[in-house]
Amino acid sequence: METTVNNELNQHVKGVSLWQDAWRRLRKNKMAMFGLYTIIFYAVISLSAPILPIYSYKQQVLGHQFLRPSFKPAGQLIYEKKSKFLHAMAAKEGRTELTAKENQELADLKESLATEKKKLLSGEEVLVNNRVYILGTDSLGRDLLSRIIYGGQVSIMIGLIGALASMLIGVVLGALSGYIGGRFDTLMMRFVDIMYSLPYILLVIIFMAIFGRNIANLFFALAIVSWLTVARVVRGQVLSLKNSEFIEAARSSGAGTARIVFRHLIPNTSGVIIVYTTLRVPAFIMLEAFLSFLGLGVQAPFASWGVLIQDGVYAMTTYPWLLWFPAAAMTLFLFSMNFLGDGLRDALDPQSKNKL
Amino acid sequence: MSKYILRRALGLIPTMFIIVTICFFFIRVAPGGPFSSEKKLPPQILQNIQKKYNMDKPLMIQYVKYLTDVARGDLGPSYKYKDYDVNFFIKESLPKSMLLGALALLLAVILGIGTGMISSLRQNSFWDYLSMSVAVIGISVPLFVIAPVFMYIFAMKLQWLPVAGWLDDGGVKMLILPVVSLSAPYFATVARLSRASFLESLRSDYIRTAKAKGLKTSVIMFKHVLKGASLPVVSYLGPAFSGIITGSIVIEQIFRIPGLGRHFVQSAFNRDYTMIMGTVIVYSLILVIMNFLVDVLYGYLDPRISYK
Repeated sequence: METTVNNELNQHVKGVSLWQDAWRRLRKNKMAMFGLYTIIFYAVISLSAPILPIYSYKQQVLGHQFLRPSFKPAGQLIYEKKSKFLHAMAAKEGRTELTAKENQELADLKESLATEKKKLLSGEEVLVNNRVYILGTDSLGRDLLSRIIYGGQVSIMIGLIGALASMLIGVVLGALSGYIGGRFDTLMMRFVDIMYSLPYILLVIIFMAIFGRNIANLFFALAIVSWLTVARVVRGQVLSLKNSEFIEAARSSGAGTARIVFRHLIPNTSGVIIVYTTLRVPAFIMLEAFLSFLGLGVQAPFASWGVLIQDGVYAMTTYPWLLWFPAAAMTLFLFSMNFLGDGLRDALDPQSKNKL
Repeated sequence: MSKYILRRALGLIPTMFIIVTICFFFIRVAPGGPFSSEKKLPPQILQNIQKKYNMDKPLMIQYVKYLTDVARGDLGPSYKYKDYDVNFFIKESLPKSMLLGALALLLAVILGIGTGMISSLRQNSFWDYLSMSVAVIGISVPLFVIAPVFMYIFAMKLQWLPVAGWLDDGGVKMLILPVVSLSAPYFATVARLSRASFLESLRSDYIRTAKAKGLKTSVIMFKHVLKGASLPVVSYLGPAFSGIITGSIVIEQIFRIPGLGRHFVQSAFNRDYTMIMGTVIVYSLILVIMNFLVDVLYGYLDPRISYK
């Protein structure tokens, strides 16, 4: 509902809510908007992955290992490689022309490449050598583009769920702790202090090592260690709001603790919460990638950016694209998330500008 | 002051106690024992093994025994490498990790403060924009991307530096790539932090007075600005320590350095529980002591903090 108000000069004044104001400020921040558009792009690609015209991320094609990124079909790449090899051999032996036998070999190869069919996981038969791998293939002949997209799906999902879970736990505990105060607060904050002094990444690694390496355990391990900062920040906010007039008013009109906390206090801290959640997402993606990189995260046939980068590191001597593309995809996303988070912080809380 | 230090130092004991306790019970509820992956053992042998590792006694007695052993500095035998103690592995690998981490942190702090100082003196200059853009990259790009990229460029393509290994393989040259890659994210953060705080204190009244007295820029920077502006950097050292520890795990993996981090990951794979516990205890001890030192240093640098 929009109310119209006139100022002392009888001019029309339009009320600007916090969110409109923040959006206006955010729109002026070019880096933040770039981040926002990039994230939307990633989100669209990830969500529409099943209907995109890409190959399966787990289909292994024999003979298509380590194909370089190219717009040419796979068959042509294989043919060119063979022909280049034969010419090099010939040059080594001092010939300029290939022998008839070698020419025959090439012709046979071309013939067989053009007709070779392979059954897909879906049961459909296709001419595999007509496939085009824009970003190349990995050590098992899987399409790198598709693996990056599906890996991104997993990474982004882990980032989002982790951030949301830590936010939920942190906000509820932090707000309750700040509002109730007293012994409950002391106990909570003592607990948070102790947890803070623990090297939590090490605990996550132990957890993964002991309870098995799967995605559910990964979520759990990340969620139990990551709500501390949110709880602290929200508690601080609640403490400063607790004695304000609107809370007083709510209390005097008979609202209970739960209603005050969930209807009045938490909505008023939403700015801080949103900023923190945005900044937690890249942190979670990094953490997951760190674990996957050590081999303690997502397991095959699933991929995540961390898994792909790990594969890339081992293959980078001869097949560097296996490192470049996943690393670039992940880095761009992390960049965008960080820019958006910084921009949101400046937009929602102008005083905090230039702080780290 | 000394009373404060003593009390903070005593505060380390309960923290370590909690860490050891969490590790111990975490691992006891874990499925599988030391040799459960091997073929079925005759009951007599199993019993002997359990006796060797004190697993035939009630849980509380095991716990008390483990606590007293750890307090005496004995981390027990390895579950996986039957003739070795955890202490043996730690003694062998910890110095390497400490050297790596200390050099990386030192590099990050010195270079970071230097860069921040120059940037703040020449605010909005080309150098300022360049170094701050590099800093943003350093913060956003994860370590396990930076390190392989450095390795690819400087070791494989340009061949200036060795690819991987440790001191005995090729001398001091082996250290350059791991140390530089490990310090990159912390260098970036320190540079950004110190630029902001240098800018703030350059605008303050006591610096204006110093300038009005006609002091040289170098004297102002090093004598007056540095002390006040180093506070945010010092308070960042705590998180930096824990970051360096996790970072060194990745770096040791990539550059094949036989440090504590590699043992840790390896033992997580092997389910070598005593080794995992030992490593976590050593890491935590370092972290907790470092945080304590940072607190003391902070109190020394900032007289406004009261020791109560």
